[in-house]
Amino acid sequence: MELLIIPFALGLISFLVPKNNIRFFGLVGSIIPVILTCIHLMDYMPGTWIELYRCDSEIPFGLTFTLHYDGISLLMLLLTAFSFPLIFLSNYNRESSQSNVFHALAFFMQTGLFGVFLAGDGVLFYIFWEFTLIPIFLILYWFGNGNYTILVKFFIYTMLGSLAMLLSLIWLKQHAHSFSYGDLIAANLTEKEGFWIMSGFMLAFAIKIPLFPFHTWQPNTYSTAPMAGTMLLSALMLKMALFGMIKWMIPLAPEGLECMQWIVIILGVLGIIYGGVIAIKQTDIKKIFAYASISHLGLIAAGIMLFSQNALTASMIQLINHSILSIGLFLVAEILISRTGTQDITQMGGIAEKAPKFAFWFMIISFASVSIPFSAGFIGEFLLLREIYEFKLSLGILAASTLVFGAVYMFRAYQITMSGHKENTQFTDLTWNEWLVFCVLGILALVFGLAPYLIGDLIKESAQQLTLIVQNNS
Amino acid sequence: MEAIVIIFISALISLFLGIMKKPTLVLLVSIVGLLVGALVQNYECYFLNEKYHVLDFNDGNIQFLNLAITLTGVIILSGYKHFMEESATIGDFSALMLFSLSGGLCLIGFKDLFMFFLGIEILSIPLYVLAGSKKKSASSSEAALKYFYLGSFATALLLFGIALVYGTVGTFDVEKIGFVSMLFTDQLPSMFFVGVLFMLAAMLFKVGAFPFHFWVADVYQGTPSVFMTYMSSVVKLIGIYAFYRLFGMMFPGVETFWSMLIVIVIFISMFIGNLSALNQDTFKRLMAFSSVTNGAYALMAVLTFSSESEALLVYMIGYSFSVVALMTINSLANNDEDKLVSLSGIGYKNPLIGVVGIVALLSVAGIPPMTGFFGKAMVFYQAFEQHMWLVSFALINSAIGVYIYLKIAMTLLKKEENAPIIALNWSQQIVLSVSLLALLFGWTIIYV
Repeated sequence: MELLIIPFALGLISFLVPKNNIRFFGLVGSIIPVILTCIHLMDYMPGTWIELYRCDSEIPFGLTFTLHYDGISLLMLLLTAFSFPLIFLSNYNRESSQSNVFHALAFFMQTGLFGVFLAGDGVLFYIFWEFTLIPIFLILYWFGNGNYTILVKFFIYTMLGSLAMLLSLIWLKQHAHSFSYGDLIAANLTEKEGFWIMSGFMLAFAIKIPLFPFHTWQPNTYSTAPMAGTMLLSALMLKMALFGMIKWMIPLAPEGLECMQWIVIILGVLGIIYGGVIAIKQTDIKKIFAYASISHLGLIAAGIMLFSQNALTASMIQLINHSILSIGLFLVAEILISRTGTQDITQMGGIAEKAPKFAFWFMIISFASVSIPFSAGFIGEFLLLREIYEFKLSLGILAASTLVFGAVYMFRAYQITMSGHKENTQFTDLTWNEWLVFCVLGILALVFGLAPYLIGDLIKESAQQLTLIVQNNS
Repeated sequence: MEAIVIIFISALISLFLGIMKKPTLVLLVSIVGLLVGALVQNYECYFLNEKYHVLDFNDGNIQFLNLAITLTGVIILSGYKHFMEESATIGDFSALMLFSLSGGLCLIGFKDLFMFFLGIEILSIPLYVLAGSKKKSASSSEAALKYFYLGSFATALLLFGIALVYGTVGTFDVEKIGFVSMLFTDQLPSMFFVGVLFMLAAMLFKVGAFPFHFWVADVYQGTPSVFMTYMSSVVKLIGIYAFYRLFGMMFPGVETFWSMLIVIVIFISMFIGNLSALNQDTFKRLMAFSSVTNGAYALMAVLTFSSESEALLVYMIGYSFSVVALMTINSLANNDEDKLVSLSGIGYKNPLIGVVGIVALLSVAGIPPMTGFFGKAMVFYQAFEQHMWLVSFALINSAIGVYIYLKIAMTLLKKEENAPIIALNWSQQIVLSVSLLALLFGWTIIYV
């Protein structure tokens, strides 16, 4: 329970803190959830379910109030908790860090994210899922460019998906005793019902991830959003959807998996190629990274749909890696944009000469992004590709093109912005906070690249439990 | 029973106080009357357990009575400024609202068609006067006249329907009629069905659903804000609850006959309300069309009658408090022109208005964790088993609704530095805080 109350309280306190101390307060405050989740990690035995809260009283309509976590949820909690200090730190000397409202909204967002990962009840999951949308929307509206059409599109699009998920939940409840996770899993469905229920969930998740034909809101939203908003969106909010696929969609309606598998994997592979190709042609730096994100996430989504223990573990490793990368890449983008005053990479050039430290760390992040060996991306991507290859040879080969595309668009962006020579440009090198963020991200990428078992051990047994549930029910 | 008497008496007192030009005292008497009425009625319901033949408040409907009374109190407070400006007629206005409410309470507790008809008349007649209360404005007179003509016509239809049903069954008692319609479903003459049809038409008019929704926009726009709030929250609540009880209790035997009609009505009303609201630029018209849509969602509860009726209660809490909050904010920021644009930036510069505004809009759009979401989810959930497609289309409509309310929210929260800072007086602060609490925690009533 305290995992929900403390971020919410921090959000409320943020309104009271004086304006010139607020960024310091945000930074220190965001450490508290980190400590809390670490305590939970210390006590956790892999493969167990920890129940944090349960409301025993009888409630009409089968609503229950339960909070629990397993290994996968705990990993997501850790990811959320650790991302916030990094996001605040990279935001430390930007305009929005002076605002009480920004920090309050960010903490409310953290509450919502924790809720999504902890929820042990279908309706509760839905409530927190929607709740996260409100703060992020306000952050984008007040601190971004405030482009009306793009924001409305983003909100309506995600909302439409969520309503489909609500419909699926209501449908599923017709076959279950209550909305609690255990009861929903126990529901028996026919194959056809399973498929339709799953497609309701999938629509919500596909829009949020975003999978290939549902991605149209994403590049524009990213390119107009403030840096912190983009980081929150891509490092945390998209992960909610992947988490939802693993923990909710497939175990709840495994009867439809066989049918849905093909659709999602093919869309994922299409997304890998599509995202890669478009990213190569883009000149807007934020859009390059946005399409790169579509490309990476297509692979993860495809891997999750295979739903074997190895594929799940690899997906989770890749998921963590993607969060590290997206914080890094969007910080790079923000540094470039704020110091050159343009989003267009053809206007930049020769920056490596003026800012060698920045050039070095950009290189590190790029290497992690194209998943060279010893970076976290390598293990995850390699395992995922192997799983898809075993599932279907041709799809495996197509999916492997992500390695080529990744190298092309990342190094193209690097080359155009960093090398070459340009007269009369001012470019200050990294400030201490940016340097610190890059350091942490670089070390994390390296650590998870050398020791992926850190993640694997935590989630392996939970993943196995989920695969067993699915095998028994389908 | 007691609540109606007490509220009626306090209305009479406030009429006389109005003549004596004591505006503060009028409001005080009205509010105290409402409070005492609600308390006495609750006491009687929970501790005395007396039964009346034609009018009965029990565990099932006492919450609706409380909600209607609370809403009226809040609306009277929200109109405090408006009343003070027209202190000459304040006694009339608050008395008329209370008279109308006491008719509404008859509608909540009726067990007899006679009481039902009486309730609907007492509810409606003061409303015709209130709609035209801004005497110098042409649109207000238009609203009153339109509402009066159409309303009388609907009442006539209702009376005709009641007569036909009575002619078949030979009793006014709702439960007996329900009993007969259950037992002798096959032997009912077509006269009975014509009667049901007429009553259905009249009730659809009263709640403003397709095909009788045309009056809603014009009447709402012409009516002064305070009374429009009353119409779209309290009257709507009472109308839909009366509809719900009337058809659920009286005609369960012939459900196949009317439920199909209501499904069609709901389906078309949702789309008409939403699509008409899409491009409105005046606030009241937008709220009018939104009330058509929301009325349609609430009608889904009629399809699934149960004596508990929690789903409808939660839904109506969410909707009516949103309306109260939004209309209060609108009347704070807007003059008679009533343009949506003039709300621009208000919520950004005034934190309380911003918070209440966004909570109200999220609630009416059905986004968690607001009460509106729980109400909508419960109503949809109940209707899903029998009417899956209707619920699917209702969810699509919710998405359209999100666009409409998001547009208002974005106008309200626009980052505009030179938006006016509005000083709130005590009554407005109370109204906004009560609405905020109801919208955030109103759904917990299902625990009670």
